[in-house]
Amino acid sequence: MEQSTPYLGFIPLLPLAGALVLGLMHIATCQGKRIPDKLYGILGCIGPFIALILAVKVFFELKALDEGKRVLLQRVYNWIEVGDLKISMGFLADPLSSLMLLFVTFVGFLIHLYSIGYMAGDKNFGKFFAYLNLFLASMLLLVLGDGPVVMFVGWEGVGLCSYLLISFYSEDPANVVAGNKAFIVNRIGDLGFVLGISFLFWGIGADGFDYISLEASATNLNPTLGLTVCLLLFVGATGKSAQIPLYVWLPDAMAGPTPVSALIHAATMVTAGVYMIARFSFLYVQVPLAGEIIAWVGILTALLAAIFGMYQRDIKKILAYSTVSQLGYMFAAVGLTAYSAGIFHVFTHAFFKALLFLGAGSVIHALHHEQDIWKMGGLKKKLPVTYWTMLFGALALAGCPLFSGFFSKDEILYSALAHGHGAIWFIGLIVAGITAYYTFRMFFVVFHGKPADQSLYDKAHESPPVMTVPLVILAVGAVFAGFLNLPHLFGGHLMVSHWLSPSLVEHHPDPTLALELLAVGGSIVAFVIGVSIAYRKFGTKAQEPVYRGFHKFAENKFMVDELFGALIVTPYRYLSQGISRIIEPWVTDGPLKSMALLYRLSGLAFKVFQVGLVRVYAIYMVLGLSIMSFLLIKTLNL
Amino acid sequence: MFDNLLTVMIFGPLVTGLVLLLLPLSSAIARFAGAFVSIICALLGVKLFADFSPATSVAFHQSYPVIPSLGINYSIGVDGISILVLLVAVILIPMVFLLFKEKQKGYYANLMVAQGAMVGAIAARDVIMFYMFWEIMLLPIFFMIGLYGGERRVAATIKITVYTIAGSLLMFASIVYLAIMYQSQTGVWSFAMDSLTSLQLTGTGATLAFIGFMVAFAIKIPLFPFHTWLPDAYTEAPTGTTFVLSAIMAKIGVYAVIRFVVPVFEESFVRFALILAFSGVIGMMYCGIAALVQKDFKRMLAFSSASHMGIIALGIFCMNLQALTGTLFQIVAHATSTGVLFLLLGIIEERMETRNIDDLGGVAYRAPLFAACFAVAMLASVGLPGTSGFIGEFLIILGAIKFNILIGVLAGTTLIIGVCYMLWLFQRVFFEKQNKRTEQFRDLSLLETITIVPVILLIIFMGLYPQPFIERIKPAAEQYTLILTDRAEIADHTISETIAK
Amino acid sequence: MIHNYLTLSVILFCLGILGVISRRNVFIVFMAIELMLNAANLGFVTLSRLHLSMDGHVLALMVMAVAAAEAALALAVVILLHKHKGKLDTDVFNLLKG
Repeated sequence: MEQSTPYLGFIPLLPLAGALVLGLMHIATCQGKRIPDKLYGILGCIGPFIALILAVKVFFELKALDEGKRVLLQRVYNWIEVGDLKISMGFLADPLSSLMLLFVTFVGFLIHLYSIGYMAGDKNFGKFFAYLNLFLASMLLLVLGDGPVVMFVGWEGVGLCSYLLISFYSEDPANVVAGNKAFIVNRIGDLGFVLGISFLFWGIGADGFDYISLEASATNLNPTLGLTVCLLLFVGATGKSAQIPLYVWLPDAMAGPTPVSALIHAATMVTAGVYMIARFSFLYVQVPLAGEIIAWVGILTALLAAIFGMYQRDIKKILAYSTVSQLGYMFAAVGLTAYSAGIFHVFTHAFFKALLFLGAGSVIHALHHEQDIWKMGGLKKKLPVTYWTMLFGALALAGCPLFSGFFSKDEILYSALAHGHGAIWFIGLIVAGITAYYTFRMFFVVFHGKPADQSLYDKAHESPPVMTVPLVILAVGAVFAGFLNLPHLFGGHLMVSHWLSPSLVEHHPDPTLALELLAVGGSIVAFVIGVSIAYRKFGTKAQEPVYRGFHKFAENKFMVDELFGALIVTPYRYLSQGISRIIEPWVTDGPLKSMALLYRLSGLAFKVFQVGLVRVYAIYMVLGLSIMSFLLIKTLNL
Repeated sequence: MFDNLLTVMIFGPLVTGLVLLLLPLSSAIARFAGAFVSIICALLGVKLFADFSPATSVAFHQSYPVIPSLGINYSIGVDGISILVLLVAVILIPMVFLLFKEKQKGYYANLMVAQGAMVGAIAARDVIMFYMFWEIMLLPIFFMIGLYGGERRVAATIKITVYTIAGSLLMFASIVYLAIMYQSQTGVWSFAMDSLTSLQLTGTGATLAFIGFMVAFAIKIPLFPFHTWLPDAYTEAPTGTTFVLSAIMAKIGVYAVIRFVVPVFEESFVRFALILAFSGVIGMMYCGIAALVQKDFKRMLAFSSASHMGIIALGIFCMNLQALTGTLFQIVAHATSTGVLFLLLGIIEERMETRNIDDLGGVAYRAPLFAACFAVAMLASVGLPGTSGFIGEFLIILGAIKFNILIGVLAGTTLIIGVCYMLWLFQRVFFEKQNKRTEQFRDLSLLETITIVPVILLIIFMGLYPQPFIERIKPAAEQYTLILTDRAEIADHTISETIAK
Repeated sequence: MIHNYLTLSVILFCLGILGVISRRNVFIVFMAIELMLNAANLGFVTLSRLHLSMDGHVLALMVMAVAAAEAALALAVVILLHKHKGKLDTDVFNLLKG
C-alpha cells in the first residue's frame, strides 16, 4: 500500500478499548461494591490522552512532508468487498483531518478531565465515562476514516453516543424522549447520507470508494447525479449539524449532562457535517448550485437560531441556539466554497463554545442544577474563575475584535462579500449583532446585577480545580486561536488556510482591501451595537421581561416543534394505529378471513344434504349410479 | 464420520426427536439430550463452515437413489448460497434448549424434529427431498404452538398450518409440472436441482409454476401481503418456537427463493422482479409502521421481524451482486439480532410473567448486562454501523438503488422506521421508572450469559469483519447474479426490438 | 329368450331399490338388499349361460357366501340397534344429520 502509518488506527482504538473496559467494569460492579470514581476517571482519561499525543505526532509527521504529499494512510484490512464495491477499514490523515484530530482530542481530553469534577458522586459515573470514551472513538473514526463508508460508521456512532448521553438521566422520560428525538432526527439525515453515498458509488465508485480514488474520478460524475449526491449528503449534514429543518433536536439535547453538551453538542459532533462537506469539497466545487443552497440554508438557520436565542431563559438552551446559529455560519462558508474559512470557524468555535458550556456547567454545578438565568445574577463575586473565563468565551462568541471568534467569523463574512453574495453577508452581519446581544444578555444576567434567588446564591461555590483548569486552558485557546489564521489585513499569513489547502479544492478570490475593510468594519459595528443594547437592558439591573406578540411567538420558537408534531409525529402515530387496528385485520387479512368464512358458509350449504336418514342416502346412491351409468352409456355410444 | 456430516446433522436430531417422543422420559432429561445433540450439531456446523472453501460447486455432496424409476434421490450438499443459512440453523438452536425450561418433554422433542427437518430442507439438492423436509418442518411448529402456546394458540396454529400447507400444495403442483416438463424434454425422470435448472421454460405453464413456487415461499418468508399469519403465530407461540420461526424458518423461505426460483424460472423471475421488490419494500414499511403502537412486546418484535424480512427479500429481487450478497449476509445478521431479541424477551416473560410494554420500565437499572445485550441486538436490528445489521442493509439498499431508484429510496426509510419503534420500546422497557415488578428482575444468570454473549460478540464481529462470511458466499452469488443479468439483458433486448417494430 | 332372464333380474333389482328407499323397518330394508343381491346373482348366472363360461356361477356362489356372512353380521347389528333405541325404524337412527 501507500505510506503506511501503523499507529493511525490506534487513535480511535484506544478510546474504544477504554469504553469497553469501563463499560464492563460498570456492568460488573454497579449492583455490588462500587469502584472508586477516581479509578474510572483515570482510566477514562488515558485513552483520550494517548490519542492526543498521537494526534500531535501525526501533525508533526505531516508537517515534515512536502506540501503536496501530506497524506498518511493506514489500511488495516478489507472490510467489505463485493464486486466493484471495495471498502477497506482504512484511516487517512491529511491536513484537514489532522487539524480536526488535534482539536477533537484536545477538547475531548479537557472535557474528560472536567467531567471528573462535574460528575463526581453520580451513581453512573463509570457508565458516563464509558459513553464519553465511545463517543470520542466514534468521532475520531469519523475524522480519520479514509472513505465515506468508514466515515459513516463514526457518523452513526457519534449519533448513538449522543442518544445514550442525552438520555443519560433516564429515569425522567423527558430526557429519554429528547434522546429519541435526537437519534430519530439524525437518522432522517443519515438516510440522506446513505442514499448519497449509494448514488456516489454507482456514479464513480467502481475504481475504489475512498476519498483519494473518488477525488481522482470526480470529474467523471454526471452533473445531475452530482447535484443529487451533493444535496443528499447535505441532508445528512443538516441532521448531524442541526440545520433547517432538522435542527429541532439540538436544543432538546441539552437534557444531557453539561460536559456532554460541551463536547458533543457544541465542539465536535455537530461540526461533523461541516467537516463532511469540506471532505467532499472536490464534489461540491463542481456543483455551484448545491453550494448556493447550502449557503442559504446555513445563513437562514443562523438567523432563525439567533432570533430564538434572544428569548431563551435556560442558560444551556441559549448556548444551544447559539451553536445552531454558529453552525449556520459554517455552512454558509462551506456553501460558498470557502472551506478553509468554515473549518477555521469550526476550530475556533470548538474552543469558545466548549469553554462557554463548561463555564455554564460550572455555574449550574455551583447552583445545584439550576439552569434558569432569571434565578441567577450577581455571581461574579462567587465564581471569579468562571466569570473571567466565561467573559473571554462570550467575547469570542460575540465577535469582539482580536478574539478568536472575530477572526473566523470575519473570514466567513468576508468570503460572502468576495464571492459576490451581498445578501448573505448582510444577513450574516445582522446575525453577528444578535449574537453579541444575546451572549451578553446571558452574561450580564448571570454574573452582574443582584442575585435573584438569595438562597441559591448563598450556597453557590466555585468549582474544584479539576473543573477550572480546563476552563482556563480553553479560555487561552478562545483568546488566541484566532491568531493562527490572521488575515493579510492584520499582517498575518492565513496559516490555517495554507495548512488546509492541500486537502481542499477551493477558489480564493483575489483579496481587495476595500472589501476586507468593509467586512471588518461591519463586524465591529455589529458587535458594538449588540453589546451596547445588551448592556443598556441588562447591564446593571436585570429584570425578567414579559414577552408579547412577536416576542412571545419567538420565545415559543415559532411553534416549529408543535408544527412538526402536528404534521409528522401525530399522523405517523395515527397511521400506525390505523394499520394495526383497521387495515391489518380487515383489509390485508381480509381475503384470508373471507376465504375462511366462505369455507364455513359452503359447509352450511352442504349440510342441508346430510339428513341423517339411511333411505335418503340410498336415494343419493341410486341417483349417482344412474347418472354415472347414463354418462357411461353416452360416452361409449351403446 | 466427517464425510457424512450433513446426514448426521439431519438425522441425528430427527431420530433423537422421535426417540424422545416415544420413550417415557422426564422433561429435564429431554432438555439435556436435546441440548447435547444440538450442541454437537452446532459444532459440526461450525466445522463445516470452516472447511467450506468458496467455490461454485457443491461441497459435502452425497447422493443415494431412493426411487430410481422416477429419478428421485436422497441428494444433499452445501454451496455458497446455503452455507450461511445452514450455519444459522445449527448454531442458534442450542440457545433455546439452554435458556428455557418447559414442563413437557414433547416441546424439546418437537424442537429436535424441527432442527433436523430444517437442516434437511437447507441441504437438499433434490426437489422431492426438499419438499419432504419442508413439510416435516411444519409439523413440530403445529404441535409446539398448538400444545404449548398462549391463550389463542389454537386459532394461531390452525392459521399458520393451513396457510402454509395451501402454499406448499401449490409448490407441489409446480414440482410435478417441472418433472413432467423435464421428462418430455429429455426423456428421463429427474428431480435433481442441477438437472431442473437446465430446463427451458416458457409460456403460461411456466408462469403458473413460478407463481406456485413463489406463493409457497412468500407465505413462509413472509412477503407482504401474505404475512397475516405471522403476528398471531409469533405472539401465541412459546418464545423458543417464535425464535425458531423468525430466526431460521423465515430465512429458509428466502433461501428457497434463491435456490429454486431464481435458477429455474429466470425468465418469469425477471419479469416479476419489480412487483416482488415492491411487495418487499411495502411489507417493510407496512409492518414497521404497524410495529410502533403494539402494546404487546412480542407482537411488536413480530412486526419488526416481518418488516426486516421484507427488506431481506427485497435483496433477491434487485438482481445484482451487492443486493444478493446483502441478502445472504443479512440472513445471518437478522437471525442473530432478532433471535437474541426474542430470547431476551422470553427471559422477561419468564421472570415477570407479562409482555405488556406498559407494565415494564427501568429494567436497565436492575439488569445492566441484560440491557446491554438487548441494546446491541437492537442496534444491529436497526442497522447501526459496527454491527452485523449495517453491512447487510447497506448492501441491499445500495443494490436496490441500482435496480430502481424509487425502491432504493423507500428501502432506505428502514433506517428511520426501525429506530422509531425500537427506541420507544427501549425507553419504556429499560429506561424510565422502575415498578414493583421490575424491581424484582434478576440480571442474566451464568448459563444465560454464556449462551447469549457469544451471539452478541458474533453480531459485533460480523459488523467489523464481515469478509470471512462474504468470501464464502461470493462465488455462488456471482454465479446467480450472472444468470439473472444475462436474462435481464435478453429481456431488455426483446423489449427494445418489439418497440422498434 | 335370454333377455327375459335379464329383464327379470332388472325388475328384481329395482324392486330391491324401491324397498330400500321406501321402507323404514330395518328388516324389510335388509330383505330388499338381499333381493338386490339375488337379482345380481340371476344376472351373473344368465350371462354365464350366455357366454358358456363358469365364471358367472363362481361369482354367484361367492355372492351367496358373502350374503350369508353379511346376514350374520347384519342381524347382530340389528339386535344391538334394537337394544339401543328399542325400535327398528331406520328414521330413528339419524346421528349423521348435519
